[in-house]
Amino acid sequence: MTELTFTDLEQNICTIANMIEEDKLYFVQMAGPPLFAILLAKRMRTPEVGFLVEEGAIAPSPSFPLPRMMLGAARSHYRSVAWEGMNIVDAHAALGYVDWGILSAVQIDKFGNFNSTFLGKDYDHPDRRFGGPGGANEIASCCWGTIIMTKLEKRKFVERVDFVSSPGYIDGSPGAREKVGLPANTGPYRVVTERALFGFDEKTHMMRLDAIAPWITLDEVLERMDFKPLIAEPLGVMLPPTEEELTIIRAEIDPGGYTLNRGEWLTVTV
Amino acid sequence: MQVLASGTGEFKPPNPDEMRSWVREHKVRAPVDKVMTEHEAVSRFVDDGDYMAYDMNIAARGPVSLYREIIRQKKRDLWIAAKFSWADTTLLVAGGCVNKVDVGWMETGAIINNALREDRLKFIEWTNGALSYRLLAGALGVPFLPMRYVGGTDVFEKSGAKLVEDPYTGQPIVLVPALNPDVGLIHVHECDAFGNARIYGAGVAPREIAMASRKLIISTEQIIGNDEIRRNPQRTTIPYYLVDAVVLAPFGGYPGSVPGRYVADAENILEFAFAQIQGTLDQYLEKYIFSVASHEEMLDKRVGAAKLLRLTQEETVREGYQ
Repeated sequence: MTELTFTDLEQNICTIANMIEEDKLYFVQMAGPPLFAILLAKRMRTPEVGFLVEEGAIAPSPSFPLPRMMLGAARSHYRSVAWEGMNIVDAHAALGYVDWGILSAVQIDKFGNFNSTFLGKDYDHPDRRFGGPGGANEIASCCWGTIIMTKLEKRKFVERVDFVSSPGYIDGSPGAREKVGLPANTGPYRVVTERALFGFDEKTHMMRLDAIAPWITLDEVLERMDFKPLIAEPLGVMLPPTEEELTIIRAEIDPGGYTLNRGEWLTVTV
Repeated sequence: MQVLASGTGEFKPPNPDEMRSWVREHKVRAPVDKVMTEHEAVSRFVDDGDYMAYDMNIAARGPVSLYREIIRQKKRDLWIAAKFSWADTTLLVAGGCVNKVDVGWMETGAIINNALREDRLKFIEWTNGALSYRLLAGALGVPFLPMRYVGGTDVFEKSGAKLVEDPYTGQPIVLVPALNPDVGLIHVHECDAFGNARIYGAGVAPREIAMASRKLIISTEQIIGNDEIRRNPQRTTIPYYLVDAVVLAPFGGYPGSVPGRYVADAENILEFAFAQIQGTLDQYLEKYIFSVASHEEMLDKRVGAAKLLRLTQEETVREGYQ
């Protein structure tokens, strides 16, 4: 038994890094934890895995350590196979080449629709305005599936999001995405948090709790949600980060301390 | 074609023939020297009330010296395409230049939130890709394009997109209107005096902006000869006749990076961020914009050769950028 300290973002990065497969193509939201997840996978297990970023770098092998200002930097786009633009990489996703999108959300509902636009009150008078969907909408629309990271909190897992910035299964009904012009047979695949891992029921498109962290109970997870998800049987157990993963994130992938400065610190015995 | 649903967001109605007439009347087709100061370029080609688009952002290869000149000249009521934008929007709003934003993504701190609260700023919702795609339609000279995203969201409701029944497949598809900005700003690695420009590295939508915009200002790290352009035509990103002004602006992306040339100045970017948090952005604007007459004077008096040399040396990645 050892004591381990990490942030919620680091847990999410490690969980997603362990899902990455080398024979798939990924579309990754830039310059934050979704990027860190695929970089950790590239650094540790799947060095050849390809990914796209919205400003048009195709299959880069970033040069570590990344600079603090990593958005669009030469080190972030190092040794790409091609440098294109946004319309080209978005078209690659629209054509069906991209298996998984990796994204983060401010707020998410039971059908996987998510919000990155505003929280609280109404659109014209928001409590807090965020930056908008950016490239997440096209990624969530056109990749075959999306892996969405967020934090397990009652105000984030809600019956209805304040604003749908990017589509999940819309109202969950059969063909709901196709009816609004989105590519067929696409949609959210996993929702990753520090305390619990979710998937979606194939028929109802309802969010389903698949696994929980070894240091939390099922009731404690459900208390942190505004709606009750389906619950998988048997319920899986998530893997905590390893010392090696945490060292690589902190020293090489995120030396600017993005994940350490913004995250919730968790100390657990594993 | 049956329209199934329409967003309510404001947009300038596309008009390809009006754009063609404008091009015929205003764009110079002769290869002439277009090199001018940033002061002349911005005073001649950026007008109050213009719709403005730019490529990349303050972190990387944004036309930041041109933003500063726009703020210095107190341009007003600009409507901007904030696709893949970052603190760019904050800077232009803090400078009092912008009152309408087509949102893709941008940083939202106190400046943006206060301007929204005080009704000094109006948002129309899109996505980074949707704005790039609208620019593609504008670049192709067509009034709209169909695309596979934006549908099924509140973004759709607050945008100017439409959902229609595709006359070919019978399936629902989203249409977005062409975007033809009044003025486009692009910072490039190299160009010649006529405006033939080279960009190295990835870019959000430089070709689309160059083709779609009525007026186009290029700022460049370096001016090269036309012979050099003609020796390697494959490398040209933007041909001369799209360009109205060429501004020589070494370190024009500062405080951001220009990949392959210099890294971002994290200290300055943090100074900007803290100024916003502390409510002292006016002092930042005074220091880096209003108290100096030009980009050159800003680099000389506020940044200094030692720092510029360090930022250049710290850019260790040169592969692919020359």
